Amino acid sequence: MVEVRLENVTKKFGRVVALRDINLRFRDGKFTVVLGPSGSGKSTLLYLIAGIYKPTRGRIYFDDKDVTNLPPNKRNVGLVFQNYALYPHMTVYENIAFPLKLRKTPQRKIDEKVHEVAKLLHIEELLDRYPHQLSGGQQQRVALARALVKEPAVLLLDEPLSNLDALLRVKIRAELKKLQEQLGITAIYVTHDQAEAMALADEIIVIHRGVIQQKAPPKKIYEEPANLFVAGFIGNPPTNLLKARLVDGAIELGGSRITIPARLPRDGYIVVGFRPEHASVDAEPLENHASIPGEVYVVEDMGKEKILTIIIGGEMVKVIAPPTAEFKPGDKVYVNIPYRRIMLFDPETGARIEA
Amino acid sequence: MGAERLRSFLTSRRGHLAFFLAPALTLITIFYLVPLILSIYISLTPLKYWQLNRYLTDLSHPLENYYRLFYLVTHHPDIGKVVITTIVFTGLTLVVNVVGGLLLALATYLMEERFSLFYRTLWLLPRMTPIAVYSLLWYYFFHGSRFGILNSILLSLGVIHKPVWWGVDEKLLPWGAWMILVYVNGLVGVSFGMIIFYSALRSIPREQVMAARVDGATTTQLIRYVLIPSIKWHIVFVTVWELLSLLTTYAHIFLLVEWGLIDKWWGTTWALFVFNTAFTAQALDQGLAAAAATVLVAIGLVLGLITLKIMGFKELMIEPRGEL
Repeated sequence: MVEVRLENVTKKFGRVVALRDINLRFRDGKFTVVLGPSGSGKSTLLYLIAGIYKPTRGRIYFDDKDVTNLPPNKRNVGLVFQNYALYPHMTVYENIAFPLKLRKTPQRKIDEKVHEVAKLLHIEELLDRYPHQLSGGQQQRVALARALVKEPAVLLLDEPLSNLDALLRVKIRAELKKLQEQLGITAIYVTHDQAEAMALADEIIVIHRGVIQQKAPPKKIYEEPANLFVAGFIGNPPTNLLKARLVDGAIELGGSRITIPARLPRDGYIVVGFRPEHASVDAEPLENHASIPGEVYVVEDMGKEKILTIIIGGEMVKVIAPPTAEFKPGDKVYVNIPYRRIMLFDPETGARIEA
Repeated sequence: MGAERLRSFLTSRRGHLAFFLAPALTLITIFYLVPLILSIYISLTPLKYWQLNRYLTDLSHPLENYYRLFYLVTHHPDIGKVVITTIVFTGLTLVVNVVGGLLLALATYLMEERFSLFYRTLWLLPRMTPIAVYSLLWYYFFHGSRFGILNSILLSLGVIHKPVWWGVDEKLLPWGAWMILVYVNGLVGVSFGMIIFYSALRSIPREQVMAARVDGATTTQLIRYVLIPSIKWHIVFVTVWELLSLLTTYAHIFLLVEWGLIDKWWGTTWALFVFNTAFTAQALDQGLAAAAATVLVAIGLVLGLITLKIMGFKELMIEPRGEL
């Protein structure tokens, strides 16, 4: 197991800058998730670590060893792809044995290791099948087995669950986390799915347009997003973000004036953010809350909760209400947000303003 | 009423099938089946000198041409040479075309795209050049005078001291003639394999190649364990295709023999023999030529089927078992 370090790494494809001046440390034995929308440069980051791409500038280290110019076959990494990339002309056994065969491992040892890892991933009974005879979930396990069989220093996963159906995805997600803990392997996992990132990660790296937006444990990413992008990307439904005017150091929102215990500029604009699950909808304003009047627009009953869409001063926000809440479209209500749950952002830079 | 029936036929399932298959079936019938049947028929007649009125209805000795052909092959030394030349030429050129095409495809696949395009275009030039021009090029190259390009190079390097007639010189036969045949045809032929194999390689998912690299494969291992097995069926196809076209090709060979660059008999393949027998003034023996052509079709058919069998074509046609 190693610690992976990137120093001032830039990657360009022609004139397109995929990654810009990245400095990162992936901690030894930890599960790090790189989260970003498509085209953010997250897969490029993974392929740089795997050695498939070479950085345009900067260095990459595995512990103290500079691997920047090492080809993939000299790095001892395991890589799992979204489409699994199993070799269609090889059986499951041959697929898993392939990395060991290339290393000229003795046949007896190969046999032992393949069965060991197959047992770990519960695919022992599939060993003599071909990839096209497997379901998506089974193929995914085989791909994982192939990556793990050589005991890689780092396990790299490129959207490994994205081709699975929703139910299976949630199931395998948990197994993956258990497996990583069990093996204590350094894992770097790329995804665009924020729920996956929250569920799996010891640490999340949010990336957007080739630039790191925030690197923090899931809880911190959730509670203290560093900027508008992170706030808007994490959470389902996503954070409500409303542009508001500052009047004499108070926030004017939806026709009401909110004074919060934070030092704010006297005038100008600010972006107010709050999570749907942190606000409540009531008939009356509440004490110690920012209370904004609005009107119920849509009620979605999800069973375990209700998602209310409320119109505040011409903009829509979403608030999660308990399943017992009785609201109907047209109701005049107050959206009450506890002061400490309000997030403020600079509309120009997008950066969070610390209260 | 006729229009009504036609209409109901065209809208039926069989009508659709007939409608869509008709163009292809028509072409195959006119340009392949009819000539083949005609050819077989002619082989049963003593037709010569194009005297159709006199010979075309004479079926009194239907197998005469086949007996003659068998006698020629077994007793005539020159026809024996044709048979050996055909076997050597087809075999060697087939290997050059398939292996060469594969090597070129792998090289262009592994190199950078901008070089790759240039390189592939370069190898297509022989195929784009008209046959006569292309043959003329190599005629000058292998010409036996001291002005032949190969001779002049070797002379100036001091490798040889007097010009060599590469394809005719008794001391160099038969290999001198064969090498020129294989070289000239191989150079045209490799581009076919190259194009098929290259596009097949390009259609392998990129991730599979990445996975192999990450799994620890060197370039050689990548080629051996991933790339070649992935294009196995394309290799089968190109092999059969090239085999059949090599058996029947004669355009370049005809010119090179005609111009005296290669020996008349050690440079003649069976297909050219058929052509010469039927159409050149010395022979004009269409009955015999038709018999030889029929034998060639039969051999092509058998060899094609054997190749498909050996390389496991049946396996290719089995439907995948699907998800379990």
